[in-house]
Amino acid sequence: MSTNMHAPLHRKTSFSSRREFLEQSGGGFGKLALLYLLGLDAGAAASNPLAAKPPMFPAKAKSVISLFMHGGPSHIDTFDPKPALLKLDGQKLPESMRGVRLQFTNASEAPLMASRRTFSKHGQSGIEISDLFPNVAAHADKLAVIRSCHHEAFVHSMALNIMNTGSARLGFPSAGSWVLYGLGSESQNLPAYVVMLEGGTKAGPPVYGSGFLPAVYQGTVMRTKGAPFLDMNLPAGMSNAEQRTMLDDAQWFNRRHMEERPGDSNLAARIAAYELAFRMQTEAPSAVDLSQESAATREMYGVGQEPANDYGLKCLMARRLVERGVRFVQLYSGGLVNGDDWDGHAQCDKNHQRMSARVDKPIAGLLADLEQRGLLESTLVVWGGDFGRTPIMDGQLFSTSGYDGGRDHNPYGFSMWMAGGGIKGGQIIGATDEIGFNAVVDPVHTNDIHATILALLGLDHKKLTYFSQGRDFRLTDVGGDHMFAERLLKG
Amino acid sequence: MHRTLLSLWLAALAVSAATIDESARAILAANCLPCHGEPKMGGLDVREIGPILKGGSRGPALTPGKSATSPLYLALERTGDLKMPPGKQGLPPHEIRVIRDWIDSGAHWPREGVPTGSAAPEPAWWSLRKPVRPALPEVRNAANAPSPVDRFILAKLEARGLKPAPGASKLTLVRRAAFDLTGLPPEPAQVAAFLKDDSPKAWENLIDRLLASPQYGEKWGRHWLDVVRYGDSSGYEGDIYYPNAWRYRDYVIKSFNTDKPYDQFVKEQIAGDEIWPNTLEFEGSYIMPAQKQIDLEHRLGTSLYTIGPMDPSSLLNGEQLRYERLTDMADTTASAFLGLTMGCARCHDHKFDPITQKDYFALQAIFAGSEPRDLAIDVRKWQEFKKGQTKLLELEDLQDRISRLDQAARRRLGSGGKQSASDLAVFYTEGERAEREGLLQSVAQVALKIPRANPTVTVLTHSEIVPEIHLAIRGEFRNKGPVVKPGFPAVLSATPAIVEVPGQPLARRKALALWLTRADHPLTARVMVNRIWQGHFGRGIVATPNDFGRQGDPPTHPELLDWLATEFVARNWSVKAMHRVIMNSDAYRRSSDVLQPNSDKDPDNHLLWRANRRRLDAEGVRDAILASAGTLNLKGGGPPVIPPLSEEEIGALEDASQWPANHDPAAAARRSVYLYVKRGFRVPMLETFDMPDASFSSAHRDSTNVAPQALALLNNDFVYRQAQAFAGRLSRESADPAVQAASGWRLALGREPTPAELQKAVAILSRGASQPGQPLLDFCLMLFNLNEFLYVD
Repeated sequence: MSTNMHAPLHRKTSFSSRREFLEQSGGGFGKLALLYLLGLDAGAAASNPLAAKPPMFPAKAKSVISLFMHGGPSHIDTFDPKPALLKLDGQKLPESMRGVRLQFTNASEAPLMASRRTFSKHGQSGIEISDLFPNVAAHADKLAVIRSCHHEAFVHSMALNIMNTGSARLGFPSAGSWVLYGLGSESQNLPAYVVMLEGGTKAGPPVYGSGFLPAVYQGTVMRTKGAPFLDMNLPAGMSNAEQRTMLDDAQWFNRRHMEERPGDSNLAARIAAYELAFRMQTEAPSAVDLSQESAATREMYGVGQEPANDYGLKCLMARRLVERGVRFVQLYSGGLVNGDDWDGHAQCDKNHQRMSARVDKPIAGLLADLEQRGLLESTLVVWGGDFGRTPIMDGQLFSTSGYDGGRDHNPYGFSMWMAGGGIKGGQIIGATDEIGFNAVVDPVHTNDIHATILALLGLDHKKLTYFSQGRDFRLTDVGGDHMFAERLLKG
Repeated sequence: MHRTLLSLWLAALAVSAATIDESARAILAANCLPCHGEPKMGGLDVREIGPILKGGSRGPALTPGKSATSPLYLALERTGDLKMPPGKQGLPPHEIRVIRDWIDSGAHWPREGVPTGSAAPEPAWWSLRKPVRPALPEVRNAANAPSPVDRFILAKLEARGLKPAPGASKLTLVRRAAFDLTGLPPEPAQVAAFLKDDSPKAWENLIDRLLASPQYGEKWGRHWLDVVRYGDSSGYEGDIYYPNAWRYRDYVIKSFNTDKPYDQFVKEQIAGDEIWPNTLEFEGSYIMPAQKQIDLEHRLGTSLYTIGPMDPSSLLNGEQLRYERLTDMADTTASAFLGLTMGCARCHDHKFDPITQKDYFALQAIFAGSEPRDLAIDVRKWQEFKKGQTKLLELEDLQDRISRLDQAARRRLGSGGKQSASDLAVFYTEGERAEREGLLQSVAQVALKIPRANPTVTVLTHSEIVPEIHLAIRGEFRNKGPVVKPGFPAVLSATPAIVEVPGQPLARRKALALWLTRADHPLTARVMVNRIWQGHFGRGIVATPNDFGRQGDPPTHPELLDWLATEFVARNWSVKAMHRVIMNSDAYRRSSDVLQPNSDKDPDNHLLWRANRRRLDAEGVRDAILASAGTLNLKGGGPPVIPPLSEEEIGALEDASQWPANHDPAAAARRSVYLYVKRGFRVPMLETFDMPDASFSSAHRDSTNVAPQALALLNNDFVYRQAQAFAGRLSRESADPAVQAASGWRLALGREPTPAELQKAVAILSRGASQPGQPLLDFCLMLFNLNEFLYVD
């Protein structure tokens, strides 16, 4: 296999590198298959749904890394300080707010709870961040913190759906799928939309599924241990050379079959798909081989340092994937392994100390590393979760001893942040009310977040449509406004 | 001629008038009611025309015929000081135009559900008009068009100057027919017999044999299961198991196998309980009376409405749960039976179709008061089951004793964090360990004695209270608009409202089913024959089988569609008869070769000058692998089979215990239609080959062509094990590489190898290898990876 494939393809993918690659790749490659991959056969190119497509207008970002805190991190304890709560601690909600609907908590009874964390100003911008994220805080001037996020879904599965697909209902394509549908893939030998889990999500694979879009656009699960992708390990007892021989035999018959059936681009496409698959098999492990990284880099991400090791591996792999042209990477912190995630229904503070210790250093390492390699400009990093958490204590469902310092789900006002991708760091957008319950200043709906991500990638969320079930659908459904993308860029 | 045009034009005009009145009312309802309904802000109430004309504090809201001086219109236009609705954004311009036109045309107020005309006018859109049986078109070359189907197709080809491709070989045809009708490759013996049969009836006999095989219902039942978004679980968080969904799946398969008339199939699914009413109570015997069993079978069809996606957390809110269920019922009904996508009308009047928001909620109202219920169907087992419930008390006691032991150990371990059972095990005393072992054994013994599940069916029944259905403003159920009565889309029915007699049992679904299955219904037969056509050609005459509305594709052969629809009804709605009609055409039997200059004029073969080469669907891939390997288990029916998956495949699942794999290899080798359809987790290999999401009705399978499919066929555990079985099968037949190669060819590809292919195959099989048997195994795996294996000419 050619050595140039180890060099990052990112930003440089061109027909010449593809051609070069294809010419060097061994093993029965039909002319049609070659044309297909080069996008030179119009008919065949039209049938390759993953062919790279230009954006609708000049893009700021080329790739997205989504850092997803599964379970829902508390904004009040992380990026949205609420000093007023210190005075109100233990009191009940104001009368006017007691009608709010929550999953487990009776809002008319539960006491308010101030954060146990210390907030301080960071960087030149002076953004206030709590001591749960000391390492991320060092990059405050890179962050645009959006404190006025909101959506409608106060249970996990629907919130995970809405944050990922724009709709609380099942069956809609995820943001990554839409991005792939709009821009195609720049990666030659890796899936273009990669998801790393911690034991699955509460809404299952549909959160990275392609819904009604063709299945080629769905997210591919990648693992940090063993073979990185599904069906990538050779069957036990079969060597790479043996498989290559078998594949050459198959392609010998496939070519004859194709030549007897001229004019069918599907047959050429499948011959090409086999070559891609075989290459993916040999190249993907090296793409994720972290032994190629220096000790200093690994240290920066917290690799090898518990409890940050796992998320550190994910963040480091994410950088390597983005370098190689992968379009959309999503990294879950927390999930269904032992039910361990950010869902702090009981002792939220303790929960968040445990969870943030796993991600703080890796995320900071990712931001620093992307910057030092000149990748941050073209990579949009988005941090968030299912929703935020309530300023009142969680109801008594999770504790036998009464209120237990937990916080319930709060989709009505919560924080996310973005970095890179051309946005201007060191700014805060929007605000929640005094106690952090509702987004009140410049509310930003999840549809707006999605519209903005698409806008930064050079896609107009109103024009990126797919016809299904009788109408043109889009990621933002009937909502969404990307106007605040302008603010993100200008500050 | 002129008269016809004129009457068509008048009809179109009548519709647009009716639609404008309806639309205007719906626009007002959707946008103004929150303030100008019950709250009567500014004194204005727009719920009825009287109060609108009376107006509010600013005087009459409108003057009929004069939009330019009507405050209502001016406020919407936002030209004066009054701007409505409040906020930055006004109504979309087209909605404002509707209000203007409505005022200018006299501001007629449509009464609930009754179109303005005395009889429903002839709808303007083709699919909403009754199909009329067309005369067979004249063709120049009549000898080329032996069947009526061919007359229609040839007429179009001749008009476009396209030359039909020659007929396919018998070898191609037998493989095509077998996959089309049964989803399985033809048996080598079947191929040989067909090739040898020179009688003029050979083709018809082949079709008859395939239609008579039980595998036919499994293939065509799966087509229908796509349409009705079949699933064995709820989806969403928890993704709970529906223990009786499989009974509906089996009902569907059986319905196709027995060639149940399609009108009856529709009636059973929508209103089996109302059309064949029966309490299904037992009458003094353990054995259900024969008539009751027949009625039960009819009623099983209604399970369709009990297996939709559902967020178990909706149980937190009864009203939300009901609304979501009704949404699923209405959307699925419209897509599956009407071929109309009505989901859009939930939030607003359909921009492109004459289906109003009111029509949509009228359809929901038909299902109001219908809810799933479990009915016991075996009294003896029910008694055993209930008797066995005491075993659960015994289990509880044992569990308590075990947890007391664990607590004791945990106390010794000290406080802190969660401990897994294995962490804890270290801290048991010798005595505790022995006691715990004993208790675990007792648990197993008691558990074994718990009687198996109480056999029930889950069907639709009527609830005690029938809730009124309100139009949900912008589709939000808490935002209640006016009450909507059950009825049919006004554009399709002269009498859209369902007349109900107080005190009589609910029969709304019965009314819907009887209306849908009228011989002259414009949609029912057309939609179904189009699905059958798609199953044979890969593309429907209408390429959007769930959307016969304005947003869908127009038919490529409208007269043919109508001819087929009327033929379908005339043949007593027999689906098998339609297979025969279609498959006996020359159009079906053409070669799939691409011909010039046809492919320049009609590159996508919309006019069917050739057959379409098609990739096997997900189930077809898996089933063909099992069939070639000789491991396919043709047992039919019963609870879903959960195939074993590799650790990495199962990794994405919320909780591996939700995938209790069936470890009997024979069970795991059953046809794919019997595999567990878990909404939150598709079997990865099937998903890779485009098995659809079961959230919504799926009208058409994608046929993608991507690297993960290649990886699955090269490396997947299941595929590899089947290749081993295939190799075993071939080596048992013969040790001679030439015999093995030819047999492999016949089993996997349905034909003899050519001399050149045989030579290459023998060379592959005769290679030296590190292990004996490896070349044969590689050869078998290679066969699964051939394009010819995946594509049917």
